[in-house]
Amino acid sequence: MKRVMLAVAMMLGLGTIPAHAAYPEKAIKIVVPYAAGGTADIFARFVAERLGTKWKNEFIVEVRAGAGGNIGSDYVAKAAPDGYTLLLGTSGSNAVNPTLYKTMPYKAEKDLVLVALVAETANVLVTGPNHPGNSIEELVALARSKPGKVTYASSGNGSVLHLSSVLLANKKNVQILHVPYKGTAPALIDVIAGRVDFMIANGPSVVGDIKGKKLKALAATTSKRVAALPDVPTMMEAGVEGYDLSSWFGVLAPARIPDEVRLKLNAAIREVLAEPTTRERFLALGAEPVPMDAETARQFFLSELKKWGDLVRASGAQVD
Amino acid sequence: MELIDHLILGFTVALSPQNLLYCFLGVTVGTLIGVLPGIGPLAGVAMLLPLTYVLAPTSAVIMLAGIFYGAQYGGSITSILVNMPGDASAVVTCIDGHAMARQGRAGPALAISAIGSFFAGCVATLAIMLLAPPLTTVALRFGPAEYFALMTVGLVMAISLAQGDQLKGCAMVVLGLVLGITGTDVQTGTLRYTFGIAKLGDGIDLVSVAIGLFGLSHIILNLEGATRRHLELAKIKSLMPSREEFSASARPIVRGTILGSILGVLPGGGAVLSSFASYTLEKRLARDPSRFGNGAIEGVAGPESANNAASQTSLVPLMTLGIPPNPVIALIGGALIVQGVIPGPEIISKQPDLFWGIVASMWIGNIMLLILNLPLVGIWVSLLRIPYQMLFPAIILFSCIGAYSVDNSTFAVWLCVVFGLLGYVLLKLEFEPGPLLLGFILGPMMEENLRRAMLLSHGDATVFVREPISLVLLLIALGLVIVMALPKARDKRKEVFSE
Repeated sequence: MKRVMLAVAMMLGLGTIPAHAAYPEKAIKIVVPYAAGGTADIFARFVAERLGTKWKNEFIVEVRAGAGGNIGSDYVAKAAPDGYTLLLGTSGSNAVNPTLYKTMPYKAEKDLVLVALVAETANVLVTGPNHPGNSIEELVALARSKPGKVTYASSGNGSVLHLSSVLLANKKNVQILHVPYKGTAPALIDVIAGRVDFMIANGPSVVGDIKGKKLKALAATTSKRVAALPDVPTMMEAGVEGYDLSSWFGVLAPARIPDEVRLKLNAAIREVLAEPTTRERFLALGAEPVPMDAETARQFFLSELKKWGDLVRASGAQVD
Repeated sequence: MELIDHLILGFTVALSPQNLLYCFLGVTVGTLIGVLPGIGPLAGVAMLLPLTYVLAPTSAVIMLAGIFYGAQYGGSITSILVNMPGDASAVVTCIDGHAMARQGRAGPALAISAIGSFFAGCVATLAIMLLAPPLTTVALRFGPAEYFALMTVGLVMAISLAQGDQLKGCAMVVLGLVLGITGTDVQTGTLRYTFGIAKLGDGIDLVSVAIGLFGLSHIILNLEGATRRHLELAKIKSLMPSREEFSASARPIVRGTILGSILGVLPGGGAVLSSFASYTLEKRLARDPSRFGNGAIEGVAGPESANNAASQTSLVPLMTLGIPPNPVIALIGGALIVQGVIPGPEIISKQPDLFWGIVASMWIGNIMLLILNLPLVGIWVSLLRIPYQMLFPAIILFSCIGAYSVDNSTFAVWLCVVFGLLGYVLLKLEFEPGPLLLGFILGPMMEENLRRAMLLSHGDATVFVREPISLVLLLIALGLVIVMALPKARDKRKEVFSE
């Protein structure tokens, strides 16, 4: 049935815009806006490899890093909207940046559309092993007793991890002091040593130290518990109402991409995500596959733009 | 017997066919770079850096480290046979090494420098094994204030150890700092020194700076002297040193090894400094110092051991504190970061296969180098016969590919050209570009830690003198500045460097 509908859709497409009749008919480029070897790159290569086998078509992964992801995103936003130039974007590069950057080279909600969500990773709030706070409640009480003195680390000003702590501060109405680092690893060293009180870090980067008792995990930022840390409560379970944040990775395209191309891409990515081996491979990276239909994905992107945008404004962070 | 377990782990990693291949590639390229005048290990590592992005992190570092210590072997060949340093750390080897060659003793000079390097390499590897793990526990006590103080010592040392005028060294460090903080400020997101050029928003790429300052600039300089350049290759008769030569070299090799191992770990130190220091030491200790300059084998044995030891032990601060003591190691650190491995105290505990694999590969690499440099020395000698006019276009091409492939950006290639010209002007005016690069690397790290320390102390600047480790380090830096300013020390320094 599905196939018939697809065929009908394709025929309809054939009638209106003949150029897209046989999409894909040439190599498709997936742009990665971050450095090679990072998580975004890994997911881009995964999508390229699986769709490539599925469609027997060539996929090229191209790294265009710089300006916190804006260079690659801008490149795709201004590319021909024919489905042959795609972006493997993230919550950071595409939901946070549009508000964080004072000048944006493109308009996020007008120029880009989220074709399909690929994966989601949970973040975890951790403290050093000897820290007095043993729960979110205790940590918040500590912060309330000495305003502005409790410190938290992040992987950078305006990063998803920074904003995750801002949301906690806002929800609980406490004043805490931000200490930015360049990346997660050096920040965690100071958290472990107790020089910084806490940090919200990417799940995969801290699971090892949590199990090795070098870090205490107080809460996960998602609405569901993290598979690798079944004993760690979610923020909502720990008493932070309405707290639900995750880092995501998705395939974006120029906004004027023809609908049938967008639907075809979305359907194919969802099929790939539903394969049992996918889940296994993503879990090894600390991520979970998130199949989402095309319309939900489109709406999700718009709501994420607003959600992260509000957080950026609340944090006061800005990049020239 | 934890150490033995670690070594077994290391050798299983290093002896995998793939890693053996990259180790061999590294030391071969290293020897090549060492032999060819005009490109040193820094430019070599910078050129090959982008190639390593596709490798596993362990293979990448095994190869890059191999280039560094391989260059120390290769550099001596050119110094001894042609009286032209193949790379900066082999400058002093020219003095007595080439004198020996003129007396028909080129073979023994080559043999002793290879044997000395090999001995030093083995001992330095042992030193890394014993030194690094305990250092990581100390490293965890290093907070932002301590890091800031440590880097202050590093920069002051870079100035005091720079050749030539100290004021010039100081100027180079400051210029490096300014270049280093170009781009977006981590804490406020403000753009600094970008002059409206969007490409500079992410800062200046280290690879472009290194290729320009240390690769292109030397090529221009070499071309300038190209007409004067005629290679007079000394003949090699027999490689075997005499018994007297062996016994005369034994002590210098041991002393050079110890000196190099220590100086390698210090920030601002490294292979070049170690070879100079060792030469000075040997001359001081000699019963008849006048022999130096006329073919004293001690003047070859000591420095050649020292530079190889230093090139290996300088990995220690990177693997334990995450601080690169010299520019080559900074590039190796950069390679790790690209791979998602952050250099620091966590490496040894979290990625023991990476650390011990690299350590074990150094032994293997040194054995390969011994073979490459003694029985096969003829191959390298014939390389020296290739006219420079044919060599330099290839070097420039590789440099450009290297710079371009970091970010697929032509802007990086233009930056290389700019820094190549800057480097040329600096060399002409006798400004040493080494301190500039160290300032470039340490500057942003220093600023970051300074501001983080101030944040964590809630604006209390006394944190730097309240923390004991930080206080001691800052006092050392102050002491160094005072010593530098003393007229007596200044004269002495001049004397040392003029040798």
